Amino acid sequence: MGDLLAGFAVALTPANLLWGLAGTTLGTAVGVLPGIGPALTVALLLPVTYNLDPTAALIMFAGIYYGAMYGGSTTSILLNTPGESSTIVTAIDGHQMARNGRAGAALATAAIGSFVAGTLATLALSLTAPLMVKLALAFGSAEYFALMVLAFVMVTTMLGESRLKGWLSLLLGLTLGFVGIDGLSGHARFTFGIAYLLDGIDPVIVAIGLFAIGETLWVASRGPAIDEVLPVRGSLMMTAEEWARSWRPWLRGTAIGFPLGALPAGGAELPTLMSYAIEKRLSRRPEEFGHGAIEAVAGPEAANNASAAGTLVPLLTLGLPTSATAAVLLAAFQQFGLQPGPLLFEHESALVWGVIASLYIGNAMLLVLNLPLVGLWVKLLSIPRPWLYGGILVVASLGAFSVHRSAGDLLLMAAIGIVGFLLRALDAPVAPVMIGLILGPAAEQHVRRALSISQGDWTVFVTHPLSAALLAISVSIALWGVFARRLAPPG
Amino acid sequence: MTSRASLIFLLFFPAVTVAQPLVITAPAAPGGGWDQTARAMQRVLAEIEPGVSVQVDNVPGAAGTIGLARFIQSERGNPGALMVTGLVMASGVILNGSPVSLAGTTPIARLTAEYEVIVVPASSRFRSLGELIDAFKKDPGSVSWGGGSAGGTDDLLVRLLAEQIGLPASSVNYVAFAGGGAALAAVLGGQLSAAVSGYAEFAGQIAAGQLRVLAISSASRMSGIDAPTLRESGIALDLSNWRAIVAPPGLSDAEEEALTARMTKLAASPKWRSTLEQNGWADEFLTGPPLRQFLLAEQARIEDVLRRLSATNSRAPTTLAVTLTPSSLPNAVAMIFLGALALTAFTTTRQSVAFDRQGMRMAVALVTALLALPIAFVTAGFVASSTLLFAIASTTLRARPERSRGAQSLSARTIAIDLFVGAAFSIALFLLFTRGLGVMLPGFF
Repeated sequence: MGDLLAGFAVALTPANLLWGLAGTTLGTAVGVLPGIGPALTVALLLPVTYNLDPTAALIMFAGIYYGAMYGGSTTSILLNTPGESSTIVTAIDGHQMARNGRAGAALATAAIGSFVAGTLATLALSLTAPLMVKLALAFGSAEYFALMVLAFVMVTTMLGESRLKGWLSLLLGLTLGFVGIDGLSGHARFTFGIAYLLDGIDPVIVAIGLFAIGETLWVASRGPAIDEVLPVRGSLMMTAEEWARSWRPWLRGTAIGFPLGALPAGGAELPTLMSYAIEKRLSRRPEEFGHGAIEAVAGPEAANNASAAGTLVPLLTLGLPTSATAAVLLAAFQQFGLQPGPLLFEHESALVWGVIASLYIGNAMLLVLNLPLVGLWVKLLSIPRPWLYGGILVVASLGAFSVHRSAGDLLLMAAIGIVGFLLRALDAPVAPVMIGLILGPAAEQHVRRALSISQGDWTVFVTHPLSAALLAISVSIALWGVFARRLAPPG
Repeated sequence: MTSRASLIFLLFFPAVTVAQPLVITAPAAPGGGWDQTARAMQRVLAEIEPGVSVQVDNVPGAAGTIGLARFIQSERGNPGALMVTGLVMASGVILNGSPVSLAGTTPIARLTAEYEVIVVPASSRFRSLGELIDAFKKDPGSVSWGGGSAGGTDDLLVRLLAEQIGLPASSVNYVAFAGGGAALAAVLGGQLSAAVSGYAEFAGQIAAGQLRVLAISSASRMSGIDAPTLRESGIALDLSNWRAIVAPPGLSDAEEEALTARMTKLAASPKWRSTLEQNGWADEFLTGPPLRQFLLAEQARIEDVLRRLSATNSRAPTTLAVTLTPSSLPNAVAMIFLGALALTAFTTTRQSVAFDRQGMRMAVALVTALLALPIAFVTAGFVASSTLLFAIASTTLRARPERSRGAQSLSARTIAIDLFVGAAFSIALFLLFTRGLGVMLPGFF
């Protein structure tokens, strides 16, 4: 607790408060705009923040991450076009509420739910991180490898329509991850004699290509049928009944979102989907779901914010990014010469706890930014669509170029954008590509290191208790995915 | 008229007034020795050259050859780029058969030398080097050594050590990490028997009592470091890990001299001297022809050592039932991927995906624009290419008949408006990034 209080001393300095405010404001804006997400925004700001104080920059980046989780719901509710993949579920009933003249209540339960979940999950982060740090030191290569196997199984079993397509995306990511010089032996792999590929494929460029470019091509090829922005109607005050129907989904959403965010399951899609399914099952009025049930907005919105905090647990304590945004945040840490992991809490205690403390403050800022000021964000949606997507392409290419100042990255971004479009056309999930690309090379290094330490003894993965437990969970999830009916998407 | 002229000047010559930033590539993970050298330089330069922005760019892996490849490839002729290098990279290039080598760079200065330490966790059963060596002699495979990239100084030291005590170099169970800093967690967590790296990389944990130093690789005792040399423990071996600064190829003589002068100033500054002392780095400053001779001699020495160790073929695992080579996993994964792709293609062609022709034409137009973008970006500059991209995207999306209710027909007027908005947006971004935030973008032309 002393560490956290010291963190507040860091986060509450006027300069850091301002950076936090800048981050949360920017985050809300990119959350509201479809096509631009927190990963692209942080990537764009990376080269700009070289000379900034690391604490200030990371406070801003964390604010962007949290802010995008808040802002995405506004677009889902008023436009029926999710601003972020994490608010797809919110759109189902949130938009119906808006059509029924309850837009105000939908926005309110989303924002207050996000605040409640964000604050509780940040508290959970503050409590679990020190415990995870102790556990993390016991993590050897075998354990890291088992954890990554768990991630691969979870992301393919639980995301998307079919497991085959999930595996297809994951394998694509894994294959792309092998490109370049091998870190352990120095061999060039899958480079086809092209010098550019020796550097490997940067996850940041892939994230920009998959999400910003792929999305724009997809919209160009078919486009949403409805793009009418509904006005904010209905009081922003929720009725007593709406409060009564909201608070339990908030807490349940938090309880689902935080652990699933902490597990490497590919971001916020899965927790929001699960929250929706559980609320529907528990509701006394399941027939209202799909027609504007407030529980269906409250639960998933809480879940996506809680999962953002959950994602920070493996990122900060193990140096393990589990979503595209987390991967870019890892790059941000490394830019400042910081290696997230158990030792970071020891060496850079003030910075880590300052960033965590800033999340509490950021949540409070975001509640104000998103509730009374929601009218301002709605104005962003009045930008004509053609200009919006034109702007997204320009910003995306600027972001991709400035990461390494390389024109080759622009070509890679376009190629990955086409792949992202094809995946969408095949109805395959895109998140597993990122998970495979980020965790694949790490998993390979760990399996080879573990075998090297054990002198080639493969039983090392089942004789270490932690590793054996993680692998057992992976196998049971895979079997559950085969035998049980998979989690049906709502609707 | 004058205000417009100055505005045009601002747009056309964005970089003229900005002092050129310096980017120092550290071809290793943060926390490693090259990273520490680069960051120490960054701090000292901030003091002796105020107003010049100095950035450190980490490009980790493969004994620095990944960073070397990127440095030679993308910084050619750039006098604002430097890279930290050293013994590890010189040997890595040979071991890895890297397509690029240090000969492709412009050597500027050798800065420091550092000696290696062998450390164990404080809780280790090995109290002295002798005890570790005894266990090593008894069962070489049971002692796992961790350190930087395969074939680096750390790896070399352990293999030379093995030879010195009469074991074949190939018997060493060496576990490579991206750098000494990355091996730290593994040795503290007890997964490794011992770790080998530069003193500075472990200095914090040694001072905190978490690591115990068993030996140092210098010829004589170092002041301030409480550790016996290898020679004191009866092993006739010393090894220094030198670090130098190189510039990209294709610099003019004047540019090379200017960089050398800046490094000389850096090395002479009091702040640099105190940095050396803090990190336990020996001052081995060297420039010009003597530096080139040194690099040639070191290259020869390393090749000789490596041939004797035949380290390239020596890393054959001892009892591996199934051998993992660098290419076995990638090839397997790629094969399964192609299989899954074929299967998906087979299953989805039966349920035909409906696309409207107009929409596909739009997407194809956008893809074409995006594929042409890299060329436009470098030849026409950011503003012109972004304006065009914006206009093409907006026009394309506008042309969808069923897209918006006020379906506008394409006219010269809407295209002109799109171009105008795109230009305004691109110029605003360009000014924001180059002037406001100090990020270099390809110029107006």
